[in-house]
Amino acid sequence: MTAPKSVGRQPGEPFDPEGVAWTRVSPRLARARRVSLGIWLGLLALAAVVPLLALGLLVPTAVVGMVFAALGCWGQWVIGRQVRAWGYAERQDDLLVRRGILMRKLVVVPYGRMQYVDVDAGPLDRMFRIATVQLHTAAAATDARIPGLPPEEAARLRDRLASRGEAQLAGL
Amino acid sequence: MTGQPPSAVPEGAAASGQQASSADGQWHRTHPLSPVIRLWQVIVVVLYFLVQDVGQGMAQGEGGLPVQGDGAGFGGRSVAFGTLGLFLVLLVGGLLSGISWRMTRFRVSSEALELHSGVISRQQRRARLDRLQAVDVVQPFVARLVGLAKLKLEVAGGGDSKIELAFLREAEAQRLRNTLLARAAGLHYETEEAPQAPERQVLDVPTSRLLASLALSGSLVTAVLIMVGMVTTAVITRSTMVFGLTIPALLGVLLPTAGLLWGRFNLGFGFRVALSPDGVRLRHGLLEQRAQTLPPGRVQAVRVDQPLLWRGVDWWRVRVNVAGYVGATPSGADSENTLLPVGTRQDALAVLALVLPDLGELEVAGELGGGDAVRSTTGDAVRSTPQEVVEAGLTGTGSGGGFVNSPRPARWLDPLAWRRSGFRVTGNAVLLRRGRLLRQLDLLPHARIQSCGLAQGPLQRRLGLVSFALHSPPGPVTPGLPHLAEAVGARLLAEQIDRSRQARAQAGPERWMEASPNRLRRDEVPAQDGSPVLPEPSAQAEAPAQAETPAQAETPAQAETPPSPGVR
Repeated sequence: MTAPKSVGRQPGEPFDPEGVAWTRVSPRLARARRVSLGIWLGLLALAAVVPLLALGLLVPTAVVGMVFAALGCWGQWVIGRQVRAWGYAERQDDLLVRRGILMRKLVVVPYGRMQYVDVDAGPLDRMFRIATVQLHTAAAATDARIPGLPPEEAARLRDRLASRGEAQLAGL
Repeated sequence: MTGQPPSAVPEGAAASGQQASSADGQWHRTHPLSPVIRLWQVIVVVLYFLVQDVGQGMAQGEGGLPVQGDGAGFGGRSVAFGTLGLFLVLLVGGLLSGISWRMTRFRVSSEALELHSGVISRQQRRARLDRLQAVDVVQPFVARLVGLAKLKLEVAGGGDSKIELAFLREAEAQRLRNTLLARAAGLHYETEEAPQAPERQVLDVPTSRLLASLALSGSLVTAVLIMVGMVTTAVITRSTMVFGLTIPALLGVLLPTAGLLWGRFNLGFGFRVALSPDGVRLRHGLLEQRAQTLPPGRVQAVRVDQPLLWRGVDWWRVRVNVAGYVGATPSGADSENTLLPVGTRQDALAVLALVLPDLGELEVAGELGGGDAVRSTTGDAVRSTPQEVVEAGLTGTGSGGGFVNSPRPARWLDPLAWRRSGFRVTGNAVLLRRGRLLRQLDLLPHARIQSCGLAQGPLQRRLGLVSFALHSPPGPVTPGLPHLAEAVGARLLAEQIDRSRQARAQAGPERWMEASPNRLRRDEVPAQDGSPVLPEPSAQAEAPAQAETPAQAETPAQAETPPSPGVR
């Protein structure tokens, strides 16, 4: 193993190109995801615990409850990190989107390649006042999705991307 | 609409203008036989039952002629009911498709092809010709019997964006194709129709080689091995149960394999590649015949690959991504995306030269180009020819031909192919090579790259590696490299984005014969010697000079805006 030790957290590493100022997504995304995770885990936990309780099995109930609680805590922690890792940057000619901690990803999309922009907001998203902006190119593999944007920022980004795309439009 | 400018008319065009033209800007219908051809399978089934019914009825009628008993009467009535029912089905089907045919109209203007169709929900589709990606004339077997063909236009949209005119007379389909291509190229003829562009045959695939390539395909060999294994087991154990299981299992293995091989055979039969000013022409097919035209600059990515068993004979396969072509069909054959189903290395290089005529400067600026900044070799850069570069991509390992391959730590994650995985950047394209057992080389023109990305998993992170991906429209080519050194990957990403931007800015117009500095002529096959190697840089140098001569069929440079911007 000849892993370079120095490449830990210094600027200029592959997922942090030099001279790029990352904009983070709204922390409200973390809240929305935590709520959503809480609801799902809660329902699952209920479905598991209630029958056990009804059967009077106290020890298994406690164990299952603990497991779910641990899962919940771990999920909350992961969500926080994931949301903090998600970032985007508008450069002169392209948009950069970065995400992930364990599986890190970076995608660079030139504005001129953009075919259309989607803005999505589900019911939970609207409750937390966030929206998702997604950039589409002719390639399906382009995965430029930015969740957790405040609606004003989403609208601004959408218009800005559209106008930049138009200014630099190239054929396929 | 632009008025047709007074340009010189080629002699051939006047003659073809005499015939009824479907490109005159008026509404036209498809051929009246189209509904019949679309329904032919239903019709055959109905006829089959009908004949069987009538035959049975007659047999019964003859046998029981003297007896007017209940049995015979019942049989006769059931025949009548069956026949009636089938007739009704046929009638309703025929009526519906007849109405649908009546409601389908198309129109070709100088800018677009419009198709109106649908009975209950009407659909109007308008395809801009400057966005044209490919035009195919397809003849399914039955249509071929009656001399009809369908015309398929690809305009790059998401999903289902093609326009299909089914069916036209074959000659009409071809004339329409020529006109559409000429208009898409930005040419205007005084007559409504453009003459057929001349073409030069580049190569064809002999049927014997096609059959041999199928015999050497992995799926056939696997199927045979499984078969032999099962039969041997059955014979050795001599148990009836094993025998009983063997037959359905054999069928289960054989049928899909046979389907796959048949699909490939059908696709590759009579495969011919030709070059014309309209683009690359492909003709192929046994039952369903297809004549494809890929205009210049429409090929988004090329993959040259070689299955393990083709290595001994040095055969290669070439496939492309074209926006709008969907890729593999359920039968497993890339019927639209195949540029060469099987060919020698020379063939593959010749085909490559058609869609990627110029790799550009072999020594490019930037630290990861042909220079040796990253590789720790000696200072003198290796001077290699384009052919050497491509061949290093096909079979080479390590840093031969100027490739930059995965660093040593990658051997933990990819012990077999890490010395193969590598890239090479030239002036016009980026080459990605991969695979030790299944060798493959992807080539992408800089101007055609949609976006780029990096990805890194936890193991890669410990080893200081990243995966690099280039994004191309959907198709068989999914360009990417599994493991590069972190620093190399990051720099490649940054440089590639830059190079793509510059290449796009310099790219020719979407109407490829319109007012570009090195204009092409449509009445002459592009000058390219028949030698099956990538042309030397000197061959390109004379191309613009030749284009200075006034072309017959050209309009003066049109003062029209380039393809209008608009986010689709």
